[in-house]
Amino acid sequence: MPVRVVESSAPSQVSGANSGKTSPPACTLLSVGQAFSGTQNVSSLQKDEAWRVNVRIQGCDLEHGYLCGTMEALNVPMADTPVVTFWEGEIVDTINYTFFTGKWEATPEDDKKHWDKFPSFSPFKSQVEIDGGKNVDLSNYPYIFMRWKEQYFVNVGTDCGLTIAGFYYVCFSCSDGSISGFYYDPNSSPFQKLELKSTNDGRSGFSFSSYELQ
Amino acid sequence: MPTPASPSASASSSHRRASSDLMVRIGSADSEIKLRALRELKNQIIGNRTKKLFFLKLGAVPAVSCALAEAQAQAQADLLVQSAAALGSFACGFDAGVRAVLDSGAFANLVALLSFPDNKSFKTVFCALVSVPSDKNAVVVDAGARSLRMIYQSKRAPKYDFLQEKNMEFLLSLLNSENETVTGLGASIIIHSCETVVEQKALCHAGVLKKLTSLLEGSPSQKDASLESLATIIKKNPEAASKFVSESRRALSSVIDLSKDRNPRTRLLACMCLIVIRNTSPCHLQDIGIKTKLVYLLLELLDDPGQVGEEASFAFSSLLAQKEDLQKLAFEANAIDKLHNHLQKHLLQPRRYQGILLALAELCSKLESCRSRFLFLEVLKLVTDALTHEVADVRTAACICLRSVSRSIKNLSAGRFMKEMIVIPLVQLLHDPSTSVQVAALGAVSNIVVDFTTAKSTFLQCGGLKLLVQLSKSMDPILRLNALWGLRNLMFLADNTCKEGIFLELTAPSLSSLICDPEPFVQEQALALVRNLVDGCLESIEYVFAEDGIILDAIGRQLQSTSKAEIGIQGMYVLSNIASGNEFHKEAVMHQLLLQVNNGTQAFILKFLQSNDSQLRTAAIWTIINLTFPSSPGASSRVVKLRNAGIVSQIKTMVNDPCVDVKLRVRTALGQFMTIGDGST
Repeated sequence: MPVRVVESSAPSQVSGANSGKTSPPACTLLSVGQAFSGTQNVSSLQKDEAWRVNVRIQGCDLEHGYLCGTMEALNVPMADTPVVTFWEGEIVDTINYTFFTGKWEATPEDDKKHWDKFPSFSPFKSQVEIDGGKNVDLSNYPYIFMRWKEQYFVNVGTDCGLTIAGFYYVCFSCSDGSISGFYYDPNSSPFQKLELKSTNDGRSGFSFSSYELQ
Repeated sequence: MPTPASPSASASSSHRRASSDLMVRIGSADSEIKLRALRELKNQIIGNRTKKLFFLKLGAVPAVSCALAEAQAQAQADLLVQSAAALGSFACGFDAGVRAVLDSGAFANLVALLSFPDNKSFKTVFCALVSVPSDKNAVVVDAGARSLRMIYQSKRAPKYDFLQEKNMEFLLSLLNSENETVTGLGASIIIHSCETVVEQKALCHAGVLKKLTSLLEGSPSQKDASLESLATIIKKNPEAASKFVSESRRALSSVIDLSKDRNPRTRLLACMCLIVIRNTSPCHLQDIGIKTKLVYLLLELLDDPGQVGEEASFAFSSLLAQKEDLQKLAFEANAIDKLHNHLQKHLLQPRRYQGILLALAELCSKLESCRSRFLFLEVLKLVTDALTHEVADVRTAACICLRSVSRSIKNLSAGRFMKEMIVIPLVQLLHDPSTSVQVAALGAVSNIVVDFTTAKSTFLQCGGLKLLVQLSKSMDPILRLNALWGLRNLMFLADNTCKEGIFLELTAPSLSSLICDPEPFVQEQALALVRNLVDGCLESIEYVFAEDGIILDAIGRQLQSTSKAEIGIQGMYVLSNIASGNEFHKEAVMHQLLLQVNNGTQAFILKFLQSNDSQLRTAAIWTIINLTFPSSPGASSRVVKLRNAGIVSQIKTMVNDPCVDVKLRVRTALGQFMTIGDGST
């Protein structure tokens, strides 16, 4: 989700695909087409504020630790319409990505401070202190840790007064499909919290669509 | 009154007269006249397709063939050489010529020349070849071998049966000959006729690999022939690849050395041989140095203006196919930029055009970095132009390229491909006269219609939907599969108008018959399509109840009878999505699940919950979760029915399922049973 521009800064570049070796187990609640809704707390010292947020998963490639989708911010004060951004995610799978970001102006200290905010991270804390958690076993863990980085605005121009310079530390619960996240941008308010829940379009149950690229 | 002939008419008639005269002289009884005529004919047709065709129509080939037979009977060396050379010229690069030579019966006579002068029988040929013939005899043997080589370079040449012992002996005698043309003929026979693994093995066991390896040190033409033959024998035969690499330490390094040869064709053939070895037996040539070298060599060979340049792009494609590491190396070697430069050249020959497009397709098949560069350089525009090329192979290649680049979700999400300039020509290709173009176009369409923006309507407005639906009813199962694939992706997250449009065009009876299609892969796509149809807003579930629920009934029948997990997965997600609806929807799903129980047979849901496929178990358990969703009024009675059918007890056995997703869903289901209170949890 975009936040107000504080200082102009170009979005970081994400490298291309990575050579995957194994696939972590899939979670149907985090598959393509799945939708989530909730809020992002954008409070600053001046005022308390939360924007409503919708997320839709559009692509998932577990072999490469890749996930992508759109994020829609609904009640952005300076925008006439909801602002939609496209984001790409890195799944912390210890094969393609570790807990250490290594880019986007995030130091290992920043990483640890943010991951530490998730209660489900605690079993890995000591190992991550040592090596970024290169050797932790996440394959049977019911939470998936990710970083989501917005790449471009889908429906507004870059001159909209908003920035997508930062990125999210994200924790997804495989049990109920809930998502918690913290936005990190050295130039924005720290620890803006993202909270999303799996949505079901008014159904009494869960629905799953799918596509397959040729 | 007679008028003077125009100069051109006069020239033409004098040419005809001269040609007829030449034909008469070929049939002359005077061997000197015949010899001069044969030489004249050969000189006229060499490298001249028009002349070849002209003399072919005049009946020159049977006449020369006759001259060859007569000369053979009288052992007249000069006549043999000239008639064999003339026949070889007819066959060289000219399929109609090859056919005429074969029809004239000259083939056996040419083979017999290889044993000249002892040409009494075919069986004695190899005996003669191992001895060193005199100079004149050698010229005859050479002329015969050269002609046969021309014939074996054509697809029309007769297939050589290596499995017959005498034929294998003959082939070995050719390869063992000291005559370079004869060994070249041996190689041509292998390249032309070795097609099956059995034939590859027979050649290996006969020691052909060893012989060919020794020819790698021979003359330039022997090197080329040997490289091509080796690639033919090793292709997709790991046993042959290992034998070649292990038989002699020099073998592989000789091929690597030849990739640095002065001659571009030798370099290309060496690269192709190395690619075949690597693709056949991936444990070889893993060294980053050789991989990088192959990439740079082939990119350099692309600059060759002739056939080598054309073939280099195909070799490059086979080097990159399915190999992300090599695609990355090629990207780092600026391959996209180089191929883009070639594509910008005017008047590209169709084969070169096709090769470049296919190489770009391979490059963009996996890596987003390649696709980004492709789009940044605006190669897309050039590829779109190729969609309307007059040659079907170029159109197909353009579609394949478009299919690769449209795998970029980042750009699909930006609506980068759903543009009229791309969609209109692509939709046109859906009724292309060539099936391979249609299939390739459907591949690109299937990706492009995933489009996450609201622009799916662009595709409908261009008439694409109608054509997809038409092709989904094709007699050709590959077209049905790909058309349904496109419809399934078009249906993904489609808005209500788009869904309604697809459904009205496709109709419920068609959809239910596609679900029961004889081909399992068509059934799977049809079910995936319905799964997307009933996703989204609640009302869309109603589609499966149209026309007395024929779609839902077809799904139930298919799930009961299928043994394929993929079909079970898609079918169960259809039921799961329906079960996330209202009470009526849930009860309809219950009816399908328990139909067999009431008939006394095992319910398919039980079979799926016990499946070895974790995705199928997941889909099945989601259906149960939706049926027993706590807020729905009928949940409690459904739990009772599920328990009576043995489904609840089956789920209880799955609490420690090895798949995390299944385990978590089982917990959800059991939690729901407890909340609802079925009295037994």
